[in-house]
Amino acid sequence: MRARPKLQLEACPECDALLRPAALVDGDKAHCPRCGFLLQRAQKNSIERSLALSVAGLLLFVPANCLPLVGIKFLGNAKDGILLSGVAALYGEGMWAVATLVFLSSMLFPLVNILLSLAISLHLYLNRPNRYLRHWMRWLQHLDEWAMLEVYTLGIIVACVKLSSMADLHFGLGLYAFVGLLLVTVALAASLDRTLFWQRIDALRRKPA
Amino acid sequence: MKRLPGALRQGLIRCHDCGALAKQETVPHPCPVCGSPLQARIPDSLTRTMAFLLSGYALYVPANLFPIMTVTRFGVGEPHTILGGILALIDGEMLPIAILVFIASILVPLLKLLGLTLLWLCVFYRWQVNARRWTLMYRMIAFVGRWSMLDIFMISILISLVDLGGVAQVLAGPAATAFAAVVVITLFAAKSFDPRLIWDHQTHDERRIRLRNPRRLAE
Ligand SMILES: [Zn+2]
Ligand SMILES: [Zn+2]
Repeated sequence: MRARPKLQLEACPECDALLRPAALVDGDKAHCPRCGFLLQRAQKNSIERSLALSVAGLLLFVPANCLPLVGIKFLGNAKDGILLSGVAALYGEGMWAVATLVFLSSMLFPLVNILLSLAISLHLYLNRPNRYLRHWMRWLQHLDEWAMLEVYTLGIIVACVKLSSMADLHFGLGLYAFVGLLLVTVALAASLDRTLFWQRIDALRRKPA
Repeated sequence: MKRLPGALRQGLIRCHDCGALAKQETVPHPCPVCGSPLQARIPDSLTRTMAFLLSGYALYVPANLFPIMTVTRFGVGEPHTILGGILALIDGEMLPIAILVFIASILVPLLKLLGLTLLWLCVFYRWQVNARRWTLMYRMIAFVGRWSMLDIFMISILISLVDLGGVAQVLAGPAATAFAAVVVITLFAAKSFDPRLIWDHQTHDERRIRLRNPRRLAE
């Protein structure tokens, strides 16, 4: 066996296979040969893309939350709903636990995710070390699975289909911003190459100030 | 002597957060790259997973028995359970949406609980299985779980829009809290299960490794 420094190896998070990383070309996917886990998806200009997409996400977040998503007309009564009104209605009925869960997974965690991605990719882009970088990256990884914009979008669709038989519906500008926000966050999750980000964070930390 | 290629058997621990490898001897210290505590496997994985699973099963019953929302039209209230809401969708000739809600609200939480129980039994009784297939099952369970939130989001939208006093009103029912708890608890159950435990107990592991040298495949 050829002797290689241990640091160059990596382990699969789902089956613990010890692996030797191959040099990836942009666009390559690396799978674990033992269990098939997707280890890394090398992205072209991952840091620049993540930076641009988090700025776009931040810009879309405001209209997606402030403008009406869906409006309803029923026997002369009209009502518009924004993102927060679902949370407010749940809270108003005393369902504070469900209201909190909806608020976190559809508003707060997506926003925190975008802000963390923005902060991390900006620091990496400017090559500026920051002692909080590694904590931000850890939070980002843990919060990622609790942001559920895509599920919320499906919830809007199902609710609209249910209502379409009994009332007139119209879609507000907020809905377009919301769908845009969804697409941006999906693209952001795909373009943020975690392996590369950790390597860069570690390299920045070792850099003499 | 044949050696299994697991990192832990070679004295290396993978950091759960950043993936860096550290020697087992360094264990009381945090990860040198990201600062999180180093653990070879998720601590108390089986105990925690079972605790979440049992509470998940317990809450699955009220989540399906009690009404999840009440639809009031012209003063007449009509409570819906999860299944009742799906039947109402079928009556309204919205079969595709009915199937979607059925999958997301009834099938996924149940299959998730049963699948994680199977995985738990597999590790606990050290079953000799096709570990690759079982890891795939775990991966699918971890991926689909979030889609069960569909019903909760839909109800939050319905009750905020349909709020026209005595004419028409949708109110959330007690099952909504139970159902939301089931979703969150099964997400935690999947998170606390460590799929590497399936691989740890396989004795005829090396036969399934096609590559002699451990290395990453690039496609
Ligand atoms: Zn693997
Ligand atoms: Zn680490």
